[in-house]
Amino acid sequence: MMTRRLRLFLLVLSLVVLQTTIATHLHVFGAIPDLLLVATVAVAYNEGPQTGSLFGFFSGLVLDLFLVSPFGLSAVSFSLTGFAIGTFQSGMAFQSRRTQVLLAALGGLIAGSIFAIVGGAVGRAGYFSLHSAQVIVVGSVWNAVVAVPIFMFVRWALMTERLRRY
Amino acid sequence: MAFVKRNVRWPPVMAALLIAALFLVALDERGSGPITSLRRVAREVISPLQTGVNTVFNPVRDLFDGVLNYGQLRDRNLELTRNNEALRGKLLRERAVGSKVGELEKLLDLPTFEDATGVAARVVGGSPGNFERTVLINKGTTSGIKIGDPVVAGSGLVGKVTAVSRTVATVTLINSAGFGVGVRLENSNERGIAEGKSGESEMKLSFLTNVQVVVKKGELTFTSATEDAVFPPDIPVARVVSTQKLTGDLEPRITLKPVVNLDDLTYVKVLR
Repeated sequence: MMTRRLRLFLLVLSLVVLQTTIATHLHVFGAIPDLLLVATVAVAYNEGPQTGSLFGFFSGLVLDLFLVSPFGLSAVSFSLTGFAIGTFQSGMAFQSRRTQVLLAALGGLIAGSIFAIVGGAVGRAGYFSLHSAQVIVVGSVWNAVVAVPIFMFVRWALMTERLRRY
Repeated sequence: MAFVKRNVRWPPVMAALLIAALFLVALDERGSGPITSLRRVAREVISPLQTGVNTVFNPVRDLFDGVLNYGQLRDRNLELTRNNEALRGKLLRERAVGSKVGELEKLLDLPTFEDATGVAARVVGGSPGNFERTVLINKGTTSGIKIGDPVVAGSGLVGKVTAVSRTVATVTLINSAGFGVGVRLENSNERGIAEGKSGESEMKLSFLTNVQVVVKKGELTFTSATEDAVFPPDIPVARVVSTQKLTGDLEPRITLKPVVNLDDLTYVKVLR
């Protein structure tokens, strides 16, 4: 029986492989979906701000290994997004598939904005621009499109042994 | 098994995560060796999985591209056939002149970009992030590629290698924001910097050595020969698509279009 930690490792590994292969061909108006960010939102949605921010931090670091932007920038934006979505979600009365889609889009807007602001602040050219705003908005729509299967994948990864028996 | 302990106090831990991440950002911006090594190892570990996924996915992608872009492909084929005929004629006309130029270059001992040896590579992916313009190629350090190597395609400059592992390398494209190439103008030989503009496939030409120079639409720019240049001289970079000088401007606003279609790269050559 796979442990939860192993399933989370498989989740991150699978999504990083998909992000660096298939997702790179899905450009629409310069934007692609951010699979690990959607997974962070899903973890925060299921487990709250604590686990969401920790998962966001480590999955962001993993993604940063494959980018040419500063190492740690995705970790900053993902962990803050995990915390924000987890906090927001804990005050919600209803949870549905539509909520998942909306939260994935909202997570894209939050993480993209933080990424652009911090990246621009450390001196990266082109992060503070109209194009960045366009990429953030289109990327958020992409995140909403891929939300449902990733939320299912994350639910499987987060499932405890006790729950699996029922 | 819980992912975290329930009794953790969150605002301080959140603050610690943020400080750790910002520390890493600062460390990387200063050019940290361990982070570069970590990135190289991660790329090497994951590259067999990427190759596997690409092997399965690429034929499917090519099939969809072929079906969805059939009309475009047919038009492009016709255009390329016409261009090919025109170029054959031009080549024959220029052959006589070319032999004289070659002799002069030998006499003056001038380096050309044909002198550089190169490694042909296939583009296997784009950027995995939304804020960078890069491509992934299927050759790495085992083929002799290293960080900083210039990359060209058939007709001109593509970019330079900015990350490399044993089997793959990341090439940052010349039209990335913040990327600058030292160039010279075709007619006047005046020098300037061709820079990428955020989110646009076009570039701008700035820091001209002579701001009064007359720049014509359609004029080519080539990499310039300077002592510490990253790129070999005389590689075609971009073509002037517009130029205007408004009242109060210190230099003309010149827009360039890269000679290589950077949004549709299949094969490239890494110069060494």
